Amino acid sequence: MMPLERWLIELLLNIVTRDELNAFLRSPQNSAALVGGLIAVSGALLGAFLLLRGLSLTSDAISHTVLLGIVIAFLLMTEVFRLPGDTSSPWLILGASLAGVATVLLTEMLYRSGLVRQDAALGLAFPLLFAIAVILVSRYVEDAHLDEDAVLVGEIGLAWANTNSHCFSNCESVTISPDHDAAKFARRCSNCRELGISPRDERARFTEICSNCREYTPAQAWSAGLLEREPALVFFPKSITVMLVLTLLTLVFVLAFYKELKLSTFDAGLAQALGLRPGALHYVLMILVSLVAVGAFDAVGSILVIAFFIIPPAAAYLLTDRLSLMLLLSPFIGAAGAIFGYDLARGQLFGLIAIADGIAALNRLFDLALPEKWDSSISASMVLMMFILFLLTWLLSPRYGLLSTVIRRAKRRRVFENQVVLAHIHNHQHTATHEIELNVAGLHEHFRWSKQKMSRVLTRLRALGYVRILAGNAVLTERGDRQVHAFRKTMLEAHNMPDLSG
Amino acid sequence: MPDQADRSDPQESPPIALSVDDLTVAYQEKPAIWDIDLDVPEGVLMGIVGPNGAGKSTLIKAALNLIPRAAGTVMFYGAPYEQARSLVGYVPQRGSVDWDFPTTVLDVVTMGLYGKLGWFRRPGKRERELALHALEQVGLVDFLDRQISQLSGGQQQRTFLARALVQDAQIYFMDEPFAAVDAVTENAIVYILQALNKRGKTVLVVHHDLQTVAHYFDWLTLLNVEVIAAGPTAAVFTAENLRRTYGGRVTNLNGGLLAGAAGG
Repeated sequence: MMPLERWLIELLLNIVTRDELNAFLRSPQNSAALVGGLIAVSGALLGAFLLLRGLSLTSDAISHTVLLGIVIAFLLMTEVFRLPGDTSSPWLILGASLAGVATVLLTEMLYRSGLVRQDAALGLAFPLLFAIAVILVSRYVEDAHLDEDAVLVGEIGLAWANTNSHCFSNCESVTISPDHDAAKFARRCSNCRELGISPRDERARFTEICSNCREYTPAQAWSAGLLEREPALVFFPKSITVMLVLTLLTLVFVLAFYKELKLSTFDAGLAQALGLRPGALHYVLMILVSLVAVGAFDAVGSILVIAFFIIPPAAAYLLTDRLSLMLLLSPFIGAAGAIFGYDLARGQLFGLIAIADGIAALNRLFDLALPEKWDSSISASMVLMMFILFLLTWLLSPRYGLLSTVIRRAKRRRVFENQVVLAHIHNHQHTATHEIELNVAGLHEHFRWSKQKMSRVLTRLRALGYVRILAGNAVLTERGDRQVHAFRKTMLEAHNMPDLSG
Repeated sequence: MPDQADRSDPQESPPIALSVDDLTVAYQEKPAIWDIDLDVPEGVLMGIVGPNGAGKSTLIKAALNLIPRAAGTVMFYGAPYEQARSLVGYVPQRGSVDWDFPTTVLDVVTMGLYGKLGWFRRPGKRERELALHALEQVGLVDFLDRQISQLSGGQQQRTFLARALVQDAQIYFMDEPFAAVDAVTENAIVYILQALNKRGKTVLVVHHDLQTVAHYFDWLTLLNVEVIAAGPTAAVFTAENLRRTYGGRVTNLNGGLLAGAAGG
């Protein structure tokens, strides 16, 4: 990761100065929005396929069971191989992706046994693996930051603080040994514990030990005041690098295998018949889902990850009939959710409304004393914001949104009412009974409609120039007559198809 | 492939397009098809007929390696499926896919070419033209930009058919193409199948309606877990064979139904 980070920073330093870059990365807002946005982009790309495969909940299961992989890999590292317990080690990521695949395999095994349904199989497999993980964490892993809070909602607000430092000039690392000028010494009682006495006891013996003797990276040396010239440093948040790599990996996978993913999602049978290996593709997809879930784990915890996978594609699905467009839109919706979600956590709604002002207004209005300061969970606010975006598409999507559906249905109902009345007039106007059937005052009774409804429809038909009233009877105009025939023609054609044998 | 346009010539017997040997498929030790031996000569339009649970779809899926075989081999022009993919076209049951999938008619038809395109390559102008041509053949060109859920059942079935046509295969497997379509659509589909057959293609169709068997197919396989009979429809479609296929369940197989067989 380090060389990659350095390469990226060098690239960025061509565009911005070092101070600007540091200032940008040191802002909690920028880092959180960037990490959240990258999780949303990679999650949304993979989630689109999960959603279309009916596997939405699998992302939730995997985001939990990766914990088992992390814990087992952590224990292997620290207990068996005696390595330092680094929570961003690639071994943990490998373990996590294996746990993700294990979840999918276990679910399929249970389902194939024919004794449980598919949803139940998932509901059996993932709590099992998660429970084992929780037991292992509470039994063996005490201080590594795998605590409940981290598992629940993550610490995306602290993404900026956990950095790697990169030095570009004046790079001096310093080693302080006991004979160094800056070495500091402390007296420590060497036999107090052994004898169970306090340092004030006269039997206490003291040794001098160096309290600051170790190796200092240029960044540490500078902040400890050991250097005269300031080294040119860039502090790069680790989670940005991790999510950047995962997002690129996801992007390459989806672009390279777009056609294969599409066919094996739509029609796995044909994909296999054509030799496209939908089974292998499925497991690569699941490995990537696991990887993104692990990458997102630090930032947003286990519970909320599913939202980053599913909400953006669910919204995009309502906006388009094309998979390619859905894949293009979902990352944008996800990233917008992450960025506006950060603002929401800090009390700003779309940068327009300050929530504190709203609460203040409530307080004034109802004489309440609600705290006006607004500062809430960032990851939860991001998810809430994604849901708000989903809700907006659900309501306003031009094709499938609630609003346009209601409008379309109302319009169709109007057209239908018009045609029913027109057809009735058409069928009766030159018959002996037309005086009874077409009398405007009694017309509504023939349809079992209310008087109001009939007069509404008649007014509409007269305004459209389809119907005239002649001596109290409804009569079709020439225009109305044409309309009746045109409608009948389109209605019949809708059921026919072009003749192939002719 | 040799041109089979003049297969009426009785001197040359056509090559075997599909050869199934000792094929058994079981779902959890319960046999779905049992020791199937079947030779299908090139250029026939063959119906696969049998009761529910007879293993008709299973036979197709096992032939195309979509489900594991318990025993036996299947050869396409003497080659196993892995080497004969490009010779085989497949139309799965309409209900096997999600028609709400965000894709268009033209796109679905283009999917038939994904095998030939191979990994990483994207469909381009040539593929679009081939797909359009197939849509013309099934009369759906006007619908090419429609989202597939906006099609009627018959139009969906014809979309699947166009997807198989674009594969330009030698042997076509069709799993119940007439399921839940109206009479007009069924006629249109039969017309397409017969046109394929006239071009020398071998077409295998899982079929349910005994009334039309003799009318549609010149070759017939009666299946009920085992092959009851296979061969030219005129020879196979007899009351005795049908009784053996359907057991006691077909009691009203009257002379009228079978008279068609004798005539066809």
